[in-house]
Amino acid sequence: MERVVKHTLEMKNIVKRFPGVLANNNVNLTIQAGEIHALLGENGAGKSTLMQILYGFHSMDSGEILIDGEPVRLGSPKDAIALGIGMVHQEFMLVRRFSVVENTVLGLREGGGPLLDLQRASEKLKDLSNRHGLALDPAAEVGSLPIGVQQRVEILKLLYRDARLLILDEPTAVLTPLEKDQLFAVLRKLREDGRSVVLVTHKLAEIMELADRVTVMRDGQVVATRTIGSTSGQELTRLMVGREVNLRAEKSSQKPGGPILQVEELRVRDETGHEKVRGLSLEVHSGEILGIAGVDGNGQSELAEAILHLREIESGRVLLKGADVTRLSVAQHRKAGISYVPADRRHVGSVTEMSVADNAILGLQRKYTRGLFRGIREARESALGLVARFGIRTGGIDFAAGKLSGGNLQKLILGREIMRGSAALVVEHPTRGLDVGAVEAVWAELLRARQEGKAILLISAELEELLNLADRIAVMFDGRIMGVVDAAGASVEKIGLMMAGIAAESASAAGQAIKETHHGETL
Amino acid sequence: MAKLFERRLTPADSPLAILATTTAAFFAAMLVTAFLFLSYGASPFEAYFALFHEPFGTLRGFGYSLVRTSPLALIALGTIVSWRSGFSYLGFEGCFVVGASATAWLALLTAPGARFGPIPFFLFLPLAILFGFVAAGIWAGLVGLVRAWLGGNEVLISLMSNYVAIFILQYLVSGPMRAPGSLPETRLLPRTTWLPFILPGTRAHAGILIAIAAAVLVWVLLQKMPLGYELIVTGFNAAAARYAGIDVGRRILLASFFAGGLGGLAGIVEVLGSQHRLMDGISGGVGFVGIVVALLARLNPVAVIPTALLYGGMSVGADAMQRRASIPSSITFILQSLTVLLVLAFDALRYYKISLPAFSRRTPPPAEEVSK
Repeated sequence: MERVVKHTLEMKNIVKRFPGVLANNNVNLTIQAGEIHALLGENGAGKSTLMQILYGFHSMDSGEILIDGEPVRLGSPKDAIALGIGMVHQEFMLVRRFSVVENTVLGLREGGGPLLDLQRASEKLKDLSNRHGLALDPAAEVGSLPIGVQQRVEILKLLYRDARLLILDEPTAVLTPLEKDQLFAVLRKLREDGRSVVLVTHKLAEIMELADRVTVMRDGQVVATRTIGSTSGQELTRLMVGREVNLRAEKSSQKPGGPILQVEELRVRDETGHEKVRGLSLEVHSGEILGIAGVDGNGQSELAEAILHLREIESGRVLLKGADVTRLSVAQHRKAGISYVPADRRHVGSVTEMSVADNAILGLQRKYTRGLFRGIREARESALGLVARFGIRTGGIDFAAGKLSGGNLQKLILGREIMRGSAALVVEHPTRGLDVGAVEAVWAELLRARQEGKAILLISAELEELLNLADRIAVMFDGRIMGVVDAAGASVEKIGLMMAGIAAESASAAGQAIKETHHGETL
Repeated sequence: MAKLFERRLTPADSPLAILATTTAAFFAAMLVTAFLFLSYGASPFEAYFALFHEPFGTLRGFGYSLVRTSPLALIALGTIVSWRSGFSYLGFEGCFVVGASATAWLALLTAPGARFGPIPFFLFLPLAILFGFVAAGIWAGLVGLVRAWLGGNEVLISLMSNYVAIFILQYLVSGPMRAPGSLPETRLLPRTTWLPFILPGTRAHAGILIAIAAAVLVWVLLQKMPLGYELIVTGFNAAAARYAGIDVGRRILLASFFAGGLGGLAGIVEVLGSQHRLMDGISGGVGFVGIVVALLARLNPVAVIPTALLYGGMSVGADAMQRRASIPSSITFILQSLTVLLVLAFDALRYYKISLPAFSRRTPPPAEEVSK
């Protein structure tokens, strides 16, 4: 009989390098049988890479994986499955036109004969679903099932292969609250059964509710592993978003002017129909940076996209200098004076196949014209100006933008949006994944734009960034603003609590209490 | 351990590298086809001489080559406009038929004794081009509409729409537009509507000038106009286009209209320049070969004219080859198909280096020459 995960699985000193990125830097992770282990971290922290190594998708550059103390080799997902490791991906790997049982046996060769025995597989599946409380009709067509039930099919697929260790990547992202509760019940049952579950997520509340232990990753490294009893949402937040290098930006004190960008009672839904922005209001003044803090996925992206009308708005208003721009087209928004630096610089903010010069006029293509034709010389001059003014390192303006490093590409996008001369600037995660030098450059440019009197809405998950740049910080949780604090003298603890969903009034009290318990522990 | 294929750090994507791999692929296809000639007991050299001498070495043959080139080039230009805008249209056979039918109908209206009587050619031609272009543009635009507003799959819909257009043509030439006689075709179009012949002693007509003008216009649109920039951004990355304030739906609709119009222009040129009447089967697959020409020209409008000339010439040479060396002309079709396959395959050389450890000293592989 092959070895399967019985007691412990250890990942030791895992190193994985992608071109230009150290995705996993000496990562250690131990998972015990019968525990629910949460893997927490922001996007790009390296948790998905680590799990894909464990599932045999990626090979590691160095390090080893031990099962019950014995080293094992994981060359492909097939090896992982043979060792009892299974994974439920964020995007389900199901054939929509197949039935539940057909999906379950897909890739298995049972019985040795040339014919499929779906009858017997159905029996086994029914038995499994009863045992684990996963109600399911084996004959149903997968495409017709609700998302929550499709997820059950994925879990049953793993149990059918008798997986001992189940990796779930952001399992609740697509679920309704009721489906989520059902999933958690199933996961608890699996734990009782002696199986291990790795929960990859950035949702604190779920970790506190469900997990036994949690490992926090940041910038490709493990920051800490804690048992749930000995930690708090606030500590985890700090571990997750803190930045290793201490950066300081010199911010001049200046009095903000009148309101430029106003959002009133905004409501926005995402593609799956979930309300992501729930009656949110805010106001950004000229010469001010309003920071939006919050753990990813609490509606920040939807807010930014709705302000530009890149996303359908349910209700509410967006005002620019007092004029209603809510229903204007994206092009009209840009004309009216709102610039936007999106979070995804490679897939939204730029066209990587096109040259630096062509990217420098993205969104301005109707400005650089000569009669019917493009003003190519003017556009090239402005691109050269951007490269010089923002210190963009490139092989020339005819170089494909996709070949620029993340920092240089970001400087190109930020520079383009600043130089448009808009009154308001919406900036989303401007320094995510950038090295320290690039971070400093981007910060300096944002502060310069502030000094020029622009109204800047800065969405970031990096508390340090917000504390350094913002004048005021609004904390967003579950589509609402939990509270707004002045950046000067704001306490990380208080913001952290609000990020975890505890309202501003009680946050100060609770923050105090936590500080005291911490003192108690250290004493 | 040395690998046979070594990945290049950066792909060789200079125009020279692209030209070199494409040329190498073409000669490789000729080499493979040479073995097919041998199996017919023919000398490959004679066969290739026959294949290329007739279309490019004789005035008469060159005229025929130009006749075949014009519709191919126009279809290829339509392909470029739609594909570079991210609209994978495959309905050019249908556009060809719609453009040809609309123009033939218009031309027959001006026949002596018909409703409008003869009108001068310099008035008729712009009218015919406008009419055929718009008709075919709307034909393709319907598919664009389905894609832009309903998210339909343009590949399937456009492919199927070809059959609809062909059935409409069959109805027209066997019903309302049929000339007296046994064949499903219209009467000969009035001479006043024919495109002028441009090379004395040949069948070459002004269609090639229209194709060259269209190539220049497509190049200007895509390279020199803000609209073209927006179309290309839409084709590369619809999310970035939306972010840049480009109305993606409208751009796709516009691209489908232009592409269809260019496909229709191919039909106009064929019916006014070469066939001089509308008949069943007038398109003869040119709507698909044109797409192949566009691919071979790497969606570059400037490269379309020489590529179309090569393909058009080869189909003329195929008949000569059959007559002289008694080799089936369909071998040319194999050569044309092989060329496309090998051009795609040779693309790998721009991403990978071949390293043959044993021979690397004595014979540098062709990939090396390509890279630098």
